[in-house]
Amino acid sequence: MRVIARLDIKNEDVIKGINFEGLRVMGKPNYLAKKYYNEGADELIYSDCVASLYGRNNLSKFVESAAKDIFIPITVAGGIRNKKDAELLMKNGADKLAINTELFKNDNLGKELIKKYGSQSILLSIQAKKISRDSWEAYINFGRDRTNMDVEEWVKKMVPSNFGELLLTSIDADGLSNGFDVELYEKICKIVNIPIIACGGFGKLIHIKELKKFADVDAISISKALHYNKINIGEIKNYIKKND
Amino acid sequence: MKNSSLYGLPENVIFCKLCVISNQRPSSTVEFKSSGGESKSGISINDNGICDACSYNKKKSEINWKEREKQLLKFLEKYRKNNGDYDCIVPSSGGKDSSFTAHILKKKYNMNPLAVTWAPNMWTEEGFENFNNLSRVGGVDSILITPNGRLHSYLTKISFLNFGHPFQPFIHGQKIIGPKMAKKLNIPLVIYGENQAEYGNKLEDNLSHYMNNQFFSVEDDFNFKDIKFGGKSIQSIIEEKKFNFKNFSTYLPLQKKEVSDSKIQMIFLGYFEKWDPQECFYYASENTGFRPAKERSDGTYSKYTEIDDKIVPIHFYTTFIKFGIGRASYDAAQEIRNHKITRDEGINLVKKFDGEFPKTYFKDFLDYIEISEEQFIKKIDELRSPHLWEKIKNEWVLKESIYKKNF
Repeated sequence: MRVIARLDIKNEDVIKGINFEGLRVMGKPNYLAKKYYNEGADELIYSDCVASLYGRNNLSKFVESAAKDIFIPITVAGGIRNKKDAELLMKNGADKLAINTELFKNDNLGKELIKKYGSQSILLSIQAKKISRDSWEAYINFGRDRTNMDVEEWVKKMVPSNFGELLLTSIDADGLSNGFDVELYEKICKIVNIPIIACGGFGKLIHIKELKKFADVDAISISKALHYNKINIGEIKNYIKKND
Repeated sequence: MKNSSLYGLPENVIFCKLCVISNQRPSSTVEFKSSGGESKSGISINDNGICDACSYNKKKSEINWKEREKQLLKFLEKYRKNNGDYDCIVPSSGGKDSSFTAHILKKKYNMNPLAVTWAPNMWTEEGFENFNNLSRVGGVDSILITPNGRLHSYLTKISFLNFGHPFQPFIHGQKIIGPKMAKKLNIPLVIYGENQAEYGNKLEDNLSHYMNNQFFSVEDDFNFKDIKFGGKSIQSIIEEKKFNFKNFSTYLPLQKKEVSDSKIQMIFLGYFEKWDPQECFYYASENTGFRPAKERSDGTYSKYTEIDDKIVPIHFYTTFIKFGIGRASYDAAQEIRNHKITRDEGINLVKKFDGEFPKTYFKDFLDYIEISEEQFIKKIDELRSPHLWEKIKNEWVLKESIYKKNF
């Protein structure tokens, strides 16, 4: 299981909210990226959390400088609206791109980017909010707007476009450190065969065991526990190795 | 129609240079004495182009907060009880600010607070959950006062139809209920969260921790039947025979004599603790089970401010129509002052969200006050001040906006 460190970025800072709300500053993107790389992260996610809100994308400069001395895959998420946005990021050193909001306006964008960069480079990103005991709704604009689209349905509709991975984030679990939304991953793992990255809710090691018991996810993405120095990536990787 | 403000606000719209608020933002008034037509005073913007709220926020960084904390501890010592009684009342909505206030008084300052909530017009699902969580998760005792729903919706209706201010009865209740319960329960200290002056009442209002008592008490010879909602007195409501005077008991403020006889003190925690609404959100999320709304509210980008009542989006829609200042403007101004977003971002957010039609709970609101959609739209158009609005190709547009000025 891969361990991915996630950096939510607004302007010049890494920030971290709760349930996708709040902009508390955690530090500088490239300082934290380097730190997590040195601690042994398998990959990094740079997510521009206001890109959709302001209709811009701010990350290429960070990716460009990170790519010089960080040698693990970097995924960029947030505000990728067209081929031009994608090209700028890929040219500056992004290895993969994750797309969410724009797909609800233009569901061809995924196919186009996959054709150009290959499946392995394009991730389907979904922000899921639980709406009943057994269903989740997909959200856009960094968890601010509803789509009326059921997550399961959306997955079934989008995955055939050949996305390389699914970055599945739980809005309800985000920032609370109370564990992953296990039922969400259990359900979605059963219906797709591409790698799933579980994102949102990690607080302590036991949460990984709870998740793995029910869902065969390929990676976990962690932000808050790392930013607040509750744990370092080395400990997480050791734990995963021991419990494999 | 003359080209001037319907509300006595300045004819030239001026925006603060640091945030996104304009001089059309009215200061708090004693609404239950208003018959309508009085001139409002707007937030003042000084010669350097900076509004009072931004000026105060600059001052906030110069305050010695350690010293203020000591002052608070000393002050609370006089009220602290160890006999099992409550020693203070926190007027609360279950929102992030009052949840922070009640919880921190209990945990950090070792007080025994009782949260007192004046019920919203119509609870949102998350609002009711947050209200319950203050007790269930946060461990703070609370009582809920729910006014007569038939009367309250009627008062809301006349406040909307007469003043375009559907929130007036709720604001009235929220302001008077803390001191009123303090008197009833013999708890002489009422602690509010932030001072409204944080958001732009008179600068000097922030210079004291005591609350101005004209908002929740009346002169001893004041006739309760002269209290007005939407400009209509209780007396004239009673005369219509649908309601009687007894129905108004929860709405009656204390008399000044009662306040002084029972030695009730009202203070703002925001005088002693550096107030940061977003940090209250984090605190409440971590300590009182507070959850943001499930989506951003109509008219703004935010999920964490004023999410308890389905009427709130309608309220901010009316401020947008009357003063040209919608919900995103209020949210962005606050977040700019507290260094969460830049002014540029704020302007973008205002452009994107301010004045968005409050569709989510629109039907609920119409049903609640029993008016038709046509009546609503007609009233809204009457509220548009001619110095702010013009009709271009059958569409209402603001003559002045912060994004037109700055881009």
